[in-house]
Amino acid sequence: MKAFSPASNRRFVAPLAFLAWLHVAACGAELSPPGFRPQPVGVHALVGGKVVIKPGETLDVATVVIRNGYIESVGGNVTPPAEARVWDLTGQTIYAGFIEPYLPLSGTNAPVSTTETQPIHTDSLTSGSVNFFGTPGQRTDLGASGPGHEISRITPELRAVTQYSPRDRALAPLREQGFTAALIAPANGIIRGSSALVQLREDNPNAVVLKPDVFQHIAFDTRSTEERVYPASLMGVIATVRQSFFDAQHYALDHADWSGNPQGRKRPEFNPALEALSPAAEGKMQVLIEPGSALMVDRAARVARELKLDFALVSSGQEWRRPDLVGQASSLSAEVARETGRMPVPPTFIVPVNFPTLPKPPTEEDWDQVSLDQLRAWDWAAENPALLRQQDLEIAFTTYSLSDKKAFRKNLKLALERGLSEDDALAALTTLPAKLCGMDKQLGTIEAGKIANLTIVEGKGYFDPESRVRDVWIDGRNFHIAAAKEPPKEAKKDEDAEKAAKAKAEKKKKEAELKELRTKRVARSPLEGRGAIPVKVGDSTAIGAFISGATIWTCSSSGRMTNANLYFREGRIVSVTREGTGSSGPPVKWIDGSSLHITPGLIDCHSHTAILGAVNEGTLPSSAMVRIGDVVNSETKNLYEQLAGGLTVANLLHGSANPIGGQNQVIKLRDGASPEELKFEGAPPGIKFALGENVKQSNWGDRNTTRFPQSRMGVPTFHENRFLAAQQYLAAQASGRSAGTNRTGRMPVPLRRDLELETIGEIIEGKRLIHCHSYRQDEILAFLRVMERFQVRIGTLQHILEGYKVADEIAAHGAGASAFADWWAFKFEVYDAIPFAGSLMHERGVLVSFNSDSSDLARRMNTEAAKAVKFGGTSEEDALKFVTLNPAKQLGIDKRVGSLEPGKDADFVVWSGHPLDSRSVVLQTWIDGKKYFDRSLAADRAAALQQERADLIAKAKKLAGGGGSGGAEDKKDDGSFFRVALEHQFDYVDRHCLDEEEEGR
Amino acid sequence: MLIECNSALRSCALAASLLFSPLNSAVVRAESVLLTGATVHTVSGETISAGQVLIKDGKISAVGKTVSATGAKAVDLAGLHVYPGMIALNTDLGLVEIGAVRATRDQSEVGEFTPEVQSWLAVNPDSELLPVARANGVACFQPTPQGGVIAGQSALVALDGWTIEDMLVKPAIALHVYWPSAGLDVTPREQSRGRTRPLEEQDKERRARLKEIDDFFQEARAYAKAREAAKEGDNFLRVPSWEAMLPVLRGEVPITVHADDARQIRAAVSWAETNRFKIVLAEARDAWKVAGLLASNTVPVIYNHVFTQPPRDTENYDVQFAAPAALWKAGVKVAIGLSSYRASLAKNLPYEAAQAAAFGLPADEALKTITLYPAQIAGVAERLGSIETGKDATLVVTDGDILDIRSNVKRMWIAGREVSLDNRHTRLYEKYKSRPKSR
Repeated sequence: MKAFSPASNRRFVAPLAFLAWLHVAACGAELSPPGFRPQPVGVHALVGGKVVIKPGETLDVATVVIRNGYIESVGGNVTPPAEARVWDLTGQTIYAGFIEPYLPLSGTNAPVSTTETQPIHTDSLTSGSVNFFGTPGQRTDLGASGPGHEISRITPELRAVTQYSPRDRALAPLREQGFTAALIAPANGIIRGSSALVQLREDNPNAVVLKPDVFQHIAFDTRSTEERVYPASLMGVIATVRQSFFDAQHYALDHADWSGNPQGRKRPEFNPALEALSPAAEGKMQVLIEPGSALMVDRAARVARELKLDFALVSSGQEWRRPDLVGQASSLSAEVARETGRMPVPPTFIVPVNFPTLPKPPTEEDWDQVSLDQLRAWDWAAENPALLRQQDLEIAFTTYSLSDKKAFRKNLKLALERGLSEDDALAALTTLPAKLCGMDKQLGTIEAGKIANLTIVEGKGYFDPESRVRDVWIDGRNFHIAAAKEPPKEAKKDEDAEKAAKAKAEKKKKEAELKELRTKRVARSPLEGRGAIPVKVGDSTAIGAFISGATIWTCSSSGRMTNANLYFREGRIVSVTREGTGSSGPPVKWIDGSSLHITPGLIDCHSHTAILGAVNEGTLPSSAMVRIGDVVNSETKNLYEQLAGGLTVANLLHGSANPIGGQNQVIKLRDGASPEELKFEGAPPGIKFALGENVKQSNWGDRNTTRFPQSRMGVPTFHENRFLAAQQYLAAQASGRSAGTNRTGRMPVPLRRDLELETIGEIIEGKRLIHCHSYRQDEILAFLRVMERFQVRIGTLQHILEGYKVADEIAAHGAGASAFADWWAFKFEVYDAIPFAGSLMHERGVLVSFNSDSSDLARRMNTEAAKAVKFGGTSEEDALKFVTLNPAKQLGIDKRVGSLEPGKDADFVVWSGHPLDSRSVVLQTWIDGKKYFDRSLAADRAAALQQERADLIAKAKKLAGGGGSGGAEDKKDDGSFFRVALEHQFDYVDRHCLDEEEEGR
Repeated sequence: MLIECNSALRSCALAASLLFSPLNSAVVRAESVLLTGATVHTVSGETISAGQVLIKDGKISAVGKTVSATGAKAVDLAGLHVYPGMIALNTDLGLVEIGAVRATRDQSEVGEFTPEVQSWLAVNPDSELLPVARANGVACFQPTPQGGVIAGQSALVALDGWTIEDMLVKPAIALHVYWPSAGLDVTPREQSRGRTRPLEEQDKERRARLKEIDDFFQEARAYAKAREAAKEGDNFLRVPSWEAMLPVLRGEVPITVHADDARQIRAAVSWAETNRFKIVLAEARDAWKVAGLLASNTVPVIYNHVFTQPPRDTENYDVQFAAPAALWKAGVKVAIGLSSYRASLAKNLPYEAAQAAAFGLPADEALKTITLYPAQIAGVAERLGSIETGKDATLVVTDGDILDIRSNVKRMWIAGREVSLDNRHTRLYEKYKSRPKSR
């Protein structure tokens, strides 16, 4: 019961009195019924204070007059009205009231970036969710309890404004930091609902709402209360966002059509979620996306562009990892603006100022456990806001994710020390959030006519954490925060004074030292030392090279050439010759290749090595709508380690948890490039399928026994079902295209876009390659036959452990075989796997490659190829093709890579000796004619990283000793320092699609 | 004469080996055999090109350029190479058949302190995995128990014999101590749902775990003393766990400490020094970081991490490949073990050594890491690990460098018996190779 608030009690007042209240309220006077505390006078004059009108505009001594909740006037010569209550603010600074732009209601307060990203657990229940996949006996995500979306984490209809009941307990800590208004947002789910801008005072809820439905909120959040509910992976979350927006667009069209002509057509379903999402889908309502990690900032911007959304982003706090992506995010929105005709505005970033605090390791040697990346994250954190400003992005600060709001100002100070200007910081608290919320006419500056929200700070002002926030004003009402400081006691004796002065000077000196230490960043950019290594010819950069006298394994009809020359320029091979016909000399580098071997860059046809978050969307039996391309991880150290093994191309595949998995992504290992730049441009799209133990959940524990299929009988049944559905979808699409107007003379509503069936449809149309995880001969044949019924030729059979038993059938079908060289006996279905399989299938006319399915094995595909020589006697030249030309053919990229021939990409490896010998090492790896790995530089590269780490530890220890630990030091250690970035979560995990029972891949 | 047969005979042999144990296709022969013409890689001494090895009564009775071998049956191995049989230490071979099938896993027992557990008792002589390993030249292995702190004891087992008793080369070659983790759980609280405990608390527990090991050994010593003091006729209560510790305390069974983290390794070495225990370090991911310490304490290493990815983001890409070379340079004796507990790939042992050779370990040293050094670490160097007079005639004949994947094992002798190279893989290969071409 909010006893002091008369308005909240209006339901006890007679209707007539209520109307009267409304009337007088509009006049500014307000007479409460007897018994209520009388309202204070509504006119105030704040005199003598320094007034910061807006960032960059300050009046040293000025008066602010407030009348009935708004600012009546402000200026140096304003005379306080006679009726005003006068407040002496001499020595204090008046700011426009601060606006908190992101205050999720309840929730864990943990940022999305800290999400547990391995969503599959053995002991969990099976649960699909989307209706059409519900199978008998399967526990499903029931979605909303009433009408709503079938995925319970899609709740756009949720309005934070209807759930807001202000409580001082929650508001006071924000006011203490100077905030007067806040954007309250729903805290859970993926599409979460809409936020509202409210005043931070306890009152009648209706009275404190400044603006309802400001943003629709989206988070790339994989957390779920239920396990094994779609979507459980990061890529699944993104796919769900896409599908939801397409659904909302379709919903609006369908309902408009139906409400115009309700007769003679099927009534569309009512769906409050899609209805609520429509304004955002149509670009009429802003969307705020919390991507959760540095790389997902880019993805969020791209998805928003794809969906033509008007959007802002919540900073991950780690944009320093790839500032280039942030720059791109802003240009992307300009593109949306061109397409939609809206003003080109780069997205605003809402920036949390939650910085990691230093740990206190129990022993000195425990520092061993601290990674360079953790130290970098700690050292970069405070610089991130300034870095965003350097990219010309607008930022607004939030206290979001701070468990103790008191840390806010201390962290803000650290950000200022790292190059953020006070004007920018002030704008990030006032004008920018006001503009972002579309309230810049009412909030954000101290100007006549605006709402009287003010923040008053003593002493040196807000950006000195020692100077306290004394008062805030909200709607012209004063909220007292802190009393004036007592003046410091006079020193009693001269001696003491001297001592005190000395101590003070000492303290000041130490503080200055610590400040200098804090301010100077030691961490380098993670992009340093990555990317193409410049090759110089004299002073200029080489545009090509001529490598002479080497043994060249062309993997073409030229076979192995000894004493041969490789000549390439501008990324493409010009010639491979026995004679020295190339033109060397600047700008082409001449390299002596005698005694060296050169092969095409190695290609791994089965990899999970650079995937952000989970490898499987293993919830539903078909997850054709998810895309590995959405979650390419350009930051993993695996890329460099595999380059060092001569790998240049990897086929990033979804795991094998379901009969129809997700879409693949072929990448080139251009370490240092962004996720988009890693993608192999023009590579035919593909998709992962799977058969056998994994898809029937054989090793998932005894509780996973209800998802269809549970046997090898059900696998072809399932495939056939989805292909039939996709055929029907294609047919409906085609008839929609050709239909013209319908019988009633109207254009038909376009078909609902179904991302799952659309993807399977692409397979049927021959536009998408299947890469199917397959083990036993019976299931292989069954799968071949089902696909043949749909005239689909399988791209590759992956692992294909018993492929040797049905090699003729595979050859006749025309599928490629992408096999393990010698893995066997790790589960029952591979007990008959043999290392001779590659040679046997090759002899019988199957196109064979060897793959890694392992971040370790991907570092030595050459010796995997050698196993084909050993087992079954494949010739050395053919064996090398197992990891070069053949996978290139299987992936449909052999026009560009896989062999060394004129016109092809200059992707090649320089070896110290015979490439099939374990004792040879990779000396250099080149992609697109650029050198990405050089063994002679590797040790120095590591040494530089070790030095950086040592310097960072030295800094950390000094700061910890000095009491300044980087982030706010009085905060209780929450382990934030050890938070592992999503980008590096799997750097030390050898991920592959086996062992679902352990890792959920 | 099972191996020197033409293909027809070979398939007879295959049939026989399908009927009987594939490990026991050999026939014990009393006559002596002279291997001639091959390059003899003695490992302990010079490599002899076109040398001779005389096998008699299961032993190497002579080796050299030419040896006198009257009455011996000559086997011409011209152009081939002879190596001592390889030894795979610290593996779950023989204890695991199919990793994902629980019923076939016997490598791990429950309980923190179970020194009386004996791994070799659970080795399945008919495991399909054994002949696969043998066919590539692995002659002996150490089935190693896992689980708890003191997991039990291991033996050295030969890849030949009808029963585990036939196969046993030497029981109780090591007591296995899995050193408690030295790492702190630093999962941020919001990720562990509040379960992460304060670092100081973890530090205390870490110390307590170390003390537990120490206590266990002290208690074992007390038991030994009490047992000695017990007079005949006293009804002294024998405790199997403590009994199992007696030969360890007497120094007869060496202690193998399994540890990866440098913190663990330092703690283990210091513990061994204080107690004057002889230890062998196994797994040993970070051993290269404390190579000097290991060398000065003469702690041999079974290194199981050649193919482990660099565990820290500041390491050079080849840190684990190059670790054996670093240890060798520091003077540490290294046996290379398999990088994973995947018993099915035990055959790839020589290629782990080859990788170390590619990254700085001299080729002759690399060969020793899988022959002589493991024999020494297992305490069987008087019988295995090199081609020397008096040692077991456990020999592998290859058509090329044994470290080169492209080489193939052609023949093999274990303790003087020629063994079959036939295995599940070759059988399935032969079967499907001869499948008539369809259409």
